[in-house]
Amino acid sequence: MLELRPILSALWRHKVSALLIALQLGLTLAIVSNALVVISERTERISRPTGVAENEIVTFNFMAIPKDYDMYDAFRQDLDMIRALPGVASATISNHVPLSGSGSASGFYTEPNKETGAMGSNYYTVDEHFVDALGMKLIAGRGFYPEEIMQIDPSSNDRPKVSVVTQKFADDLFPESDGNVLGKSFFLGGDDHPIEIVGIVERNLGPWPNSSIAGRGAFYPAITDRWFYYIVRAEPGQRDEVLKLVEEKLAERDGNRVINANTMEEEKAQYFAGDNTMIKVLSGVIVLLTFIVALGIVGLTVFWITQRQKQIGVRRALGATRTAISRYFLLENLMIAATGIALGTAAAQIFNGFLVREFDQPALPVSVTVFCALGLLAVSLAAALVPALRAANISPAMATRSV
Amino acid sequence: MLKMQNIRKSYRSDTIETHALRDFSLEVKEGEFVSVTGPSGSGKTTFLNIAGLLETPTGGQYLLDGQEVGGLSDRDRSHLRNEKIGFIFQGFNLIPDLNLFDNIDVPLRYRGFNAKERRRRIEKSLEQVGLAARAKHLPAQLSGGQQQRVAIARALAGEPRFLLADEPTGNLDSLMARQVMELLEFVNEWGTTIIMVTHDPDLARRAHRNIQIVDGQVSDLRQVAQHKQSAIA
Ligand SMILES: Nc1ncnc2c1ncn2[C@@H]1O[C@H](COP(=O)(O)OP(=O)(O)OP(=O)(O)O)[C@@H](O)[C@H]1O
Ligand SMILES: [Mg+2]
Repeated sequence: MLELRPILSALWRHKVSALLIALQLGLTLAIVSNALVVISERTERISRPTGVAENEIVTFNFMAIPKDYDMYDAFRQDLDMIRALPGVASATISNHVPLSGSGSASGFYTEPNKETGAMGSNYYTVDEHFVDALGMKLIAGRGFYPEEIMQIDPSSNDRPKVSVVTQKFADDLFPESDGNVLGKSFFLGGDDHPIEIVGIVERNLGPWPNSSIAGRGAFYPAITDRWFYYIVRAEPGQRDEVLKLVEEKLAERDGNRVINANTMEEEKAQYFAGDNTMIKVLSGVIVLLTFIVALGIVGLTVFWITQRQKQIGVRRALGATRTAISRYFLLENLMIAATGIALGTAAAQIFNGFLVREFDQPALPVSVTVFCALGLLAVSLAAALVPALRAANISPAMATRSV
Repeated sequence: MLKMQNIRKSYRSDTIETHALRDFSLEVKEGEFVSVTGPSGSGKTTFLNIAGLLETPTGGQYLLDGQEVGGLSDRDRSHLRNEKIGFIFQGFNLIPDLNLFDNIDVPLRYRGFNAKERRRRIEKSLEQVGLAARAKHLPAQLSGGQQQRVAIARALAGEPRFLLADEPTGNLDSLMARQVMELLEFVNEWGTTIIMVTHDPDLARRAHRNIQIVDGQVSDLRQVAQHKQSAIA
């Protein structure tokens, strides 16, 4: 026997405090649901597949002290040495490291001698071991032959003849081709030198996973001494040993240089540090707001029950069971929470509209609001539960004993 | 109808134990109107609370309507209160947030009656106490005597076998007290058994029987002259 109507009329006589709690709940819902959308978007960003074996890769880079240092000779010797080390699965040399926040990008065209309408993409210069060393998946065509690898001076006009691109690069540059891009050529800006696509890798997010060109990538069979990193993939579980060993051996082979070693995991964490901070701050906000609203509900319920002790005794005397008393306060709480959630759902949409317009934040799906609403409803009921159960212990003799 | 044998009730606090009732025995027959008097602190309210299942005795036997109520669960006691017993309190004890209609509705909802039946009973009992026109008023908008009449209506709406009243006229002036008394006598004539605690010797004398509680025991049983007064106008 639900006594909704009388509870509502009694509540109506305390509408200010009830409404204040409802408003607080609504506001919490609006903020929490929007925070949750941002958190889930950021989490998705961080955890989306990168296309590379990010947890098995270590990278090295060095600065040579003498001016007349033969870099290309050093590369050859270093890489030969590294590949022979125990625990090393594969190694390549590249101008940039994926997920690191530092890279090169350029404009790409389907026709020669164009200056406008380019598609932006990351590009890498790598040697023939790159697919294996990065842990990528070649889904069509081939990688590079050793004899294709050129030495490129970035200030010169040297151009590679072939390229391996990511699936996304292919789809975006040749949207009509349905993925059949092997043998097709692309051009750089204002240039009539065709570069033929000989292979496609499934995925590579590139150096800037949060940028609009993330996922597009072109690999060139080339080595340059301007920017270079050794990218070394360790056998599973041996990354940290390999990091130490390679660093040691590089220093051993030639002590005249400063070696900088890093794990790709660390570089990725640094790149996403801002997103991670945002996730932590917003999670903190969610916990704090929920805690405050729960405290408010506990406080109001306890206050009302104390105020209505006599009334509870009278109700018990008139035949209310303990259950009926607890139920009364839970239903009362439910009504307040329902009002708050109705207000909050509307407020959440309005607030989200503002965030989308002004801050380019993701839109709030209904499912997230519903999820948060149900969560807050549970919190609200849990907060009222203990006081409501204690109210049931008020003795019916309260009706005759107190004045 | 109501039979108490060697009922004991003691309250224990950290330092002292109060024996509110001891060796308390009493029998009340169906249809009786019993008044209870006695000095302050003698155990009158304690007796009424035990009779009305608001408190449990420390010892002794209590038969209500032939049923031993000693071992009943809290839930069963609540249902028994709801079905068989009507309460009238000195302080009226109407629920301030609810209008008269909803106040009388409270025990009827616990009873599980449907909306139509509840409405019928509420309207009838408000009619009986002469306040039908005030159904939508809040208790605070009524005089003390009117509030007590609503409380009586609330007690009567469930058509209880027993009416227990603890100083129902204690907060009323003598005119209103007489009106309430007449209402109770009227109800009694229609068959409801009434036990009423009062400090007013005149009212006590108007009951069929007066019992005196002194120091937690029935001190003296005597019949009082039966004043058969006509019911309220
Ligand atoms: N909850 C309690 N805890 C401790 N002692 C109590 C409690 N309730 C009642 N008493 C004591 O029990 C005794 C009887 O109390 P009771 O209320 O029955 O007296 P009463 O006859 O109704 O008095 P009054 O005429 O003043 O209403 C008193 O001494 C009182 O102090
Ligand atoms: Mg008393």
